Amino acid sequence: MSSVAERIAAAGAGNAIELRGVSRLFGALAALNDITLTVRPGERRAVLGSNGAGKTTLLNCVTGDFPPTKGTVRFFGEDVTTLPPHERTRRGLRRTYQISLLFQRLSVRDNVYLACRGASRGRFSLIRTRSSDAIMQSVADLIVLVHLEQVADRLVGELAHGQQRQLEIALALAGAPRFILFDEPAAGLSPNERGDLVAILTALPPHIGYIIIEHDMDVALRVVESVTMMHNGRIFKEGAPREIEADPEVQQLYLGGGHG
Amino acid sequence: MALSDTGTARRPIGLEGDAFSRWLSQHSPTLLLGLLLVLLPAAATDFVLDQIVGWTLVLGMIALSLMFLAGYGGMVSLVQMTVAGLAGYSITVLGASSLPSISLFWPWWVAAPLAILIAVAFGTLAGALSARTEGIYTIMITLALASAFFYLTLQNWSIFNGFNGFTSVPAPIFLGVNWKSPVPLYYLILFCAGLSYVAVLYVSRAPFGIALQGARDNPRRMEAIGFNVMAHRIAAYAFAAVIAAVGGILLVWLNNQISPGTAGIQATIDLLVIAVVGGLGHPIGAFIGAFIYVILRTFALDALVAVGLDGRRFQTIIGLGFLVIVLFSPDGVIGIWRRWLARAASSRRGIGR
Amino acid sequence: MATALGDEGTARGARRGDALGRWINHHPLAALSLAVIVIFCLWLILAPWPQGFEDWFGRKRLFINALFNGITLGGLYFLVAAGFTLIFGLMRNVNLAHGSLYLFGGYMGYEAGVWTGSWLLSFVVAFLCCAIVGAAMQILIFRRMEGQDLRQTLVTLGLSIVFADLMVWVWGGNAIQIDTPDYLTGPVPTPIVVALKPSGDAIFLQYPRVRLVIFAAAVLIGIGMWLALHRTRIGMMIRAGVDDRDMLSVLGYRVQLLFVLVFAFGAGLAGMAGIVGGTFQSISLGEDSHFLLASLVVVIVGGMGSIPGAALGALIIGLSEQFGLVYFQNYATVATFVIMVVVLALRPQGLLGRR
Ligand SMILES: Nc1ncnc2c1ncn2[C@@H]1O[C@H](COP(=O)(O)OP(=O)(O)OP(=O)(O)O)[C@@H](O)[C@H]1O
Ligand SMILES: [Mg+2]
Repeated sequence: MSSVAERIAAAGAGNAIELRGVSRLFGALAALNDITLTVRPGERRAVLGSNGAGKTTLLNCVTGDFPPTKGTVRFFGEDVTTLPPHERTRRGLRRTYQISLLFQRLSVRDNVYLACRGASRGRFSLIRTRSSDAIMQSVADLIVLVHLEQVADRLVGELAHGQQRQLEIALALAGAPRFILFDEPAAGLSPNERGDLVAILTALPPHIGYIIIEHDMDVALRVVESVTMMHNGRIFKEGAPREIEADPEVQQLYLGGGHG
Repeated sequence: MALSDTGTARRPIGLEGDAFSRWLSQHSPTLLLGLLLVLLPAAATDFVLDQIVGWTLVLGMIALSLMFLAGYGGMVSLVQMTVAGLAGYSITVLGASSLPSISLFWPWWVAAPLAILIAVAFGTLAGALSARTEGIYTIMITLALASAFFYLTLQNWSIFNGFNGFTSVPAPIFLGVNWKSPVPLYYLILFCAGLSYVAVLYVSRAPFGIALQGARDNPRRMEAIGFNVMAHRIAAYAFAAVIAAVGGILLVWLNNQISPGTAGIQATIDLLVIAVVGGLGHPIGAFIGAFIYVILRTFALDALVAVGLDGRRFQTIIGLGFLVIVLFSPDGVIGIWRRWLARAASSRRGIGR
Repeated sequence: MATALGDEGTARGARRGDALGRWINHHPLAALSLAVIVIFCLWLILAPWPQGFEDWFGRKRLFINALFNGITLGGLYFLVAAGFTLIFGLMRNVNLAHGSLYLFGGYMGYEAGVWTGSWLLSFVVAFLCCAIVGAAMQILIFRRMEGQDLRQTLVTLGLSIVFADLMVWVWGGNAIQIDTPDYLTGPVPTPIVVALKPSGDAIFLQYPRVRLVIFAAAVLIGIGMWLALHRTRIGMMIRAGVDDRDMLSVLGYRVQLLFVLVFAFGAGLAGMAGIVGGTFQSISLGEDSHFLLASLVVVIVGGMGSIPGAALGALIIGLSEQFGLVYFQNYATVATFVIMVVVLALRPQGLLGRR
């Protein structure tokens, strides 16, 4: 009994993310239904599926925003199923949100600063951070990375939608992430900004893996090495981007379904 | 909860290395006001010192603790007056009063820190209870806690001496100064109020303060970037309770008495009125609100009678004034001032061109 | 239900296989202690107390009176808190002027009683007056600041300050007692023994008729509200709105009408409670905050937005206040306070609240 459990745990240690039998109910609706999924460290994976397929819910279960109703979630081998979101973040997990969740009444710089601070020590510090501190350099770098240096000291509430989406990405890159979950990061970006996004994703250090949910195939299939297809809360296909693109069932259900 | 707009947010995080003159010009109004307050005893009567300015500063301190929680943390805690009241009662019971049957007459340097400790423990506990629920529930829970404390002080005779409360709770004598007399007491109050004002202003731009504002704007995202939002909120309650507790002790020393009404439901609500009328967007709002309140309370009766109205309708004036602020300038007097400054600046620019 | 559990539950639970039985099966110890407690309570209430027990615990008359007063006070608290919890549940409006409405209803009922001489008619007057004020508040003010919960609450706070002062102006600071109508004065005999005469005859409890009648009325109103919420179209809409705010947008313009109706009804109920309070005790300056606090605690303990929760909370708070008054006078409110803190710590959403 225990040796089996140990063997499973040992096998799991090799994976960045491992979901076993994860279900999530909203009332009677099963947004996720017995999901089993593994992603290797450094792997880049797209999760595709029609609206309401349960993709965002999947991310929420991984990050702990909504804990799963059933099943276990492991992060780099450790069972994090019952850990609160901030504990998972401190272990190197990051995410972006489909609908921007930003600090509207703080400046762009403060937003990025909080993300960097949250991933480091001194979260409760009563001593102000000096501009010469190392953390301020990483804040500045992140702001430059997403091209927001012009508006760095503006309140986030005053930014254009596209700029908020950029900031959303910056927040997920702060600290030293080991794995990032992107929830439709390209939604609301201009074609130019999409190009930047692809550049940012491909330029990430190879040890950082990610899962990306993306309706834009041009973005999604260019930046991943594997694809998971979801429908009605279940995974129904996994494979390399090419296989998925060629799969008739997938084409009928998803690619042909009016999403582009 | 968009009641306040923390204007400090725009300032970049670290610019303190810049020139001293920059700092000076930025803070010149505050420094000027501080200087004025320091010099005030030379010109003012004892009545003005204690009953107007002293009261303003003490009430302002307690309101400041509410402003800190509400403005930066989005938690409208009505328990701050109770924290102050508990500190006041504690120092009375542990220290000296006219009731030797209850008071323990411990020296002030034991009684005062213990009183602060008790009050902070209570404030933190109240925070822990209400921080678990979100937003509007905070008001309900803290108001209930505050009222429960009020009725407890009213009913309990063995510790709180019921309806009568305590009289003769003097400030102590130490360092050879009798802090009971008006001018030393005034300086003690001014020092504490000034210190807490500066502390709040400073902490609002420290990691702890920025994180608190982040938790106000978006607790879920705060969790997602690695902050334990609950812990942060509770810590904020503890921080605010320290300020309120010190204010409560000063309040007793200033009044020379304490009774259930000190932290009663009326006082609790008045404190919220003070903080909201002043404005939750900046720590100075607490003191502005307190000043308006003290002036009204001291002079409204006469003023009302002078214009031919019933002087007893003071509360109606307060209530109506509060309603006007909430309905038309939710960011309080500071908001009015800021908008006025902005308009003045834009019209000046218009003329310049 | 509780009796059934005590008498037979433990043995038959498993065979019956219903929820209760399963619960007993899983928690045999809890079930046993519950049964013992229930039997003990029944004994406390029904049997005359032995001398030694009275010496230790106090006189039975005190206990029974506290029990009855607590339950009937719970009925009064329910009347006030039911409107409060409905308004909060549906509109997320913490109506801090609810206590003022209670007081206003009491005063208007008193005036109406003096004018018409009819106690029953005064209820109609109080209900209508408060309902009109409540509807006006919703239409004139709160409709304009929908979604801004904090601002709405601050407005209710400002209103409560003004209302309180205006009522002092009109009615002064003295307590006003509303006369009980003749047909309800006097005590009712009950079959509960409070003591034994030296001769061995039992002395039975006599309890004020008006309190029993009003409690019955509160129960009827509670059941009526529950039925209205569960069996009528408008009730369904209200419940849907309480459970899921997004549902409200589906209703479109009618949601405004719904809000006004609920606000008016809740306010009217508080107004009627004012008369009850004036008959039970008296109405005076300061009672507005007392009953606002009672509503807050009842709703926090029972669960926000839940009518059965308000009933349960009101009963608990009424009992704890009355027993506190009898058994630990110096700390009577502490009992209430401790109950609230424990509930908040263990079940922040309240006993019957939903998350
Ligand atoms: N907080 C919630 N409460 C109730 N139901 C929810 C909640 N979140 C998601 N759902 C439901 O769960 C199902 C899956 O939602 P989810 O957001 O995961 O879909 P998705 O694949 O991300 O869709 P989209 O492409 O639109 O983002 C949907 O039917 C949705 O209505
Ligand atoms: Mg989604």
